[in-house]
Amino acid sequence: MKITIDGKKIEVEGKRTVLEVAREKGIYIPSLCDHPRLAPFGGCRLCIVEIKEKGGFPPSCSTFVENGMEIKTKTPRLQKLRREILELILSEHPNACLICSEKEKCDEYKSTIRKVGEVTGCVLCSNNGRCELQDVVETLKIDKVRFPSVYRNLEVKKGDPFFDRDYNLCILCGRCVRVCQELRGAAAVSFVYRGSQAVVGTVLDLPLIESGCQFCGACLDICPTGSLAERGIRYEDLPDERVKTICPLCSMGCELKIDLKKKKILSSKPSDEGAVNQGQACVKGRFLIKDLIQSPRRIIKPLFRMNKELEETSWEEALDFVAQRLRKFKGKEIALVASPQVSCEEYFLLHKFASEELKTENVDSSYRFSPLAVIDEMAQENGLELDLNFELKDISRAKALFLIGEDIPKSHPIIWLEVLKAVQRGAKLMVASPAELSLNRYSSLWLKIKPGTEFYFLSFLSKLFLQNEQEANHPRIEGFDSFKSSLGEFDLSQVFEMTGITREGLEEAFGLLSEAEDAAFLFGMGLTQYPWGTRNVAALWNLALQAQAQLFPLGLENNLRGVFEIGQNSSGQGLNFNQIFQAALSGDLKALYLAGPAPYLKKANLEFLVIQDSFVNENFKLADAVLPASTFAETDGTFINGEGRVQKFNKIIDPLGDAKPDWWIISQLARRMGNRGFPFKNPPEITKELIKTIPGFSNISCAELGKGQKVFIQEKAKKERSFIPVKYMDINYKKSKKYPFLLSLDYSLDYYRSLVLSQESKGMKAIRDSRWIKISSEDAEKLNLEEGESIVIESSSGKFKGFVKILESLPDGILRASFLLSEDADFSVNGLIPSGFQESHSLGMLPVKIKREK
Amino acid sequence: MEKIMSESNSVQRELIHLLHDVQNKFGYIPAQSISQISRELKVSESEIFGVLTFYKAFTLKPRGKHLITICMGTACHVRGAPMILDEFERKLGIEAGETTEDNLFTLETVNCVGACALGPIAIADGDYHGQMKTREVGEIIKKLKQEKGKSIE
Repeated sequence: MKITIDGKKIEVEGKRTVLEVAREKGIYIPSLCDHPRLAPFGGCRLCIVEIKEKGGFPPSCSTFVENGMEIKTKTPRLQKLRREILELILSEHPNACLICSEKEKCDEYKSTIRKVGEVTGCVLCSNNGRCELQDVVETLKIDKVRFPSVYRNLEVKKGDPFFDRDYNLCILCGRCVRVCQELRGAAAVSFVYRGSQAVVGTVLDLPLIESGCQFCGACLDICPTGSLAERGIRYEDLPDERVKTICPLCSMGCELKIDLKKKKILSSKPSDEGAVNQGQACVKGRFLIKDLIQSPRRIIKPLFRMNKELEETSWEEALDFVAQRLRKFKGKEIALVASPQVSCEEYFLLHKFASEELKTENVDSSYRFSPLAVIDEMAQENGLELDLNFELKDISRAKALFLIGEDIPKSHPIIWLEVLKAVQRGAKLMVASPAELSLNRYSSLWLKIKPGTEFYFLSFLSKLFLQNEQEANHPRIEGFDSFKSSLGEFDLSQVFEMTGITREGLEEAFGLLSEAEDAAFLFGMGLTQYPWGTRNVAALWNLALQAQAQLFPLGLENNLRGVFEIGQNSSGQGLNFNQIFQAALSGDLKALYLAGPAPYLKKANLEFLVIQDSFVNENFKLADAVLPASTFAETDGTFINGEGRVQKFNKIIDPLGDAKPDWWIISQLARRMGNRGFPFKNPPEITKELIKTIPGFSNISCAELGKGQKVFIQEKAKKERSFIPVKYMDINYKKSKKYPFLLSLDYSLDYYRSLVLSQESKGMKAIRDSRWIKISSEDAEKLNLEEGESIVIESSSGKFKGFVKILESLPDGILRASFLLSEDADFSVNGLIPSGFQESHSLGMLPVKIKREK
Repeated sequence: MEKIMSESNSVQRELIHLLHDVQNKFGYIPAQSISQISRELKVSESEIFGVLTFYKAFTLKPRGKHLITICMGTACHVRGAPMILDEFERKLGIEAGETTEDNLFTLETVNCVGACALGPIAIADGDYHGQMKTREVGEIIKKLKQEKGKSIE
């Protein structure tokens, strides 16, 4: 198609709006309600244009280009109309400052005037200087508003975490309403009331926190005015620098823009250019980055215990002390625990240090809990090869989706956005979960499953497939016959009582999966965290083969894939994560190097304990030395996200106090212990060695990484996939009179290294406190428990304190709590688990009782 | 409520229809019903609230036993509707949009009922009273009080 805009000839392809084309060609058309990521709306009418042979003034945001269109965007008539429209908009927006002739000078002399409660002009508004309305007024050159000014005098809503809402500044462009609905799928806000009373609001004017808001901050970032104001920067001036980094708070690795003022972090926002997140983030990336990096719990000085107490010391002394003491322990006497939240370079060095210097194979991290570790273990047991790389858009292209074991709008918000896109394109979503999830509004089928019985449900579905489908397709896949005969033990008549799923539910599930082409199966910790996690995954694997679906393991920590790749180089003979702590308790281990979160080791019997961490934690009480590590913001490195995408991040601020990056600490220690294999002066040198040593990195070029190009980890050539025979087993949870409840633990990712985010941030605590104990409304009523009440849970081996959170849809007799490794001892669920950690990656279900706290 | 739900088709476009059913059954939209409707129709609660606050046909507060509606459309307005409204307000001791303390009467205004030739019009429990005069106000109220009252259903 050929069109002209303002006399400029332009070639256009596809269905595009006039505004899109103009924006792309650098032709400015003022607009306030349109946004490139949202569907056309046509609300503000500022983007009107004139089109030859078309009557009136069509809005360019919702007019699609047609061949031969001659478009004018800046005629005097248009400008006059736009000014009038803008005057109407401004008549309901505090405008004194916008049209003041002295506004330039005013900015220089203002001091702290933003602290007034009411915003009546720009200098009092926290959005001053980054406001789209200001920009439009500037370009249209408005110097007076001829309409009577209306101040709506609505109450400023300050009851929610993280941001205030002042709808007196709102121009009703609807961007927040649309982004919440179209892109995020929350629809927590909507236009409410009518006519002159119309306002953006929530159901019954409740706080956002009670209306389904996830606090992703998308509304805040898309608002063209100051209506939505981030509390953390309310009184701050404009940033003087903007840098980019990769968020380390989940396995997706969103690109964030960090605003700095005098080298201090002001706020973090999702980057529009981010390959993974495309302008979106979640509550953690949007609001918590600053809190965690500048947390008062940061350690900023090396500590060591010469006498009784931990004392501050210099790096020289601390390193010498640790190096000298570590020399005494070798091989099986010592273990190293790393964190899957450090960069690939740092994880690699920790591994190298353990094997070359500590001469031990006992290296592991909380990676061991992840779905990735479980599916890898399953694959190794059965001689399969995994196909792990994917791209997010593979999910949005799926025609059918099956989600099991994760609440993705909370745990993987960016993956949820892709699932939502698929649903909006007509895909069917099937969910299996014990309690109702917010995303069920978008699901075609919700199977309310008893936790722990997933294995049966999946195998029964497989059996239905076998019975119903013509077998012509499958015998070609290896292992079919033994798989078929192994399903013989499963009796369909039992499934309903066992799993809690109805006959209709099972049939519907089968119908949905058998019709679907291009299915995607997403599974998380809820499926893998049991002692029989590998069997669960095997059952899902078989079903995926039958339904011809792709599997997506939903790992939690940001660099799990990096840990996986680097771990390929080790023998795997040493103790795993849980065995390390068991050995520490039993005394088999003499020394421990903790460079990652760990449970509280109160009863451990260790001769030497080193902690390398960024935050104060309970194990300090036992530590002989503490080495303050910096956070991701204070060094360079690479992370590999859940897709297998390698992403480089750069240092954005100087390390706090005397904290040093992990790679520096390890290199220094190794050198002091006489190892010449650690000559690294900066992370890129380590990257080079990583590329040489680790097969998955072999195709990566540092130059490409530096430029932010799309780089993926290299995968081995794929083998034909085959079925895995299932092993029938009896799962019997024993509730007793003494312990009448079953506690199901959800592994939580609301942490960074050993900092628990809900302890650090009040807002996070309000949204999801790690100390909530979820209980069904019926059970709560029976026990006469009230929301927020403090209770104690007791198992055969320990106690745990928490607060009642009533969850209507939870099955009776089941409690749920978050599992965090580094929670304070009183609140740690670790103590509930008999003999610490038994199985390699299991949290399972624990028989418990509830006591009121006196 | 369950009966209303079971009779609905559970599709999003049925929202207004369903709200009407709830309004007719209870005389208002109870706050708890919003979450039930949300679950059934898979529409967010805030969106439902947006719809029900847009239309005047829905109220969140319980209405009185008798509903009196005064037309304030242009034709009625010029023919004295404000005076009729004043009289009702005075006699009932409430303002438009409110309900009497004994829960007997709710007074509302609307902007035209489409019977302009008969203006000013008052509608009492569905009965149209055309060419109203202020002195007829008392009679209407008296009559409604005497009636056992058709329930709003």
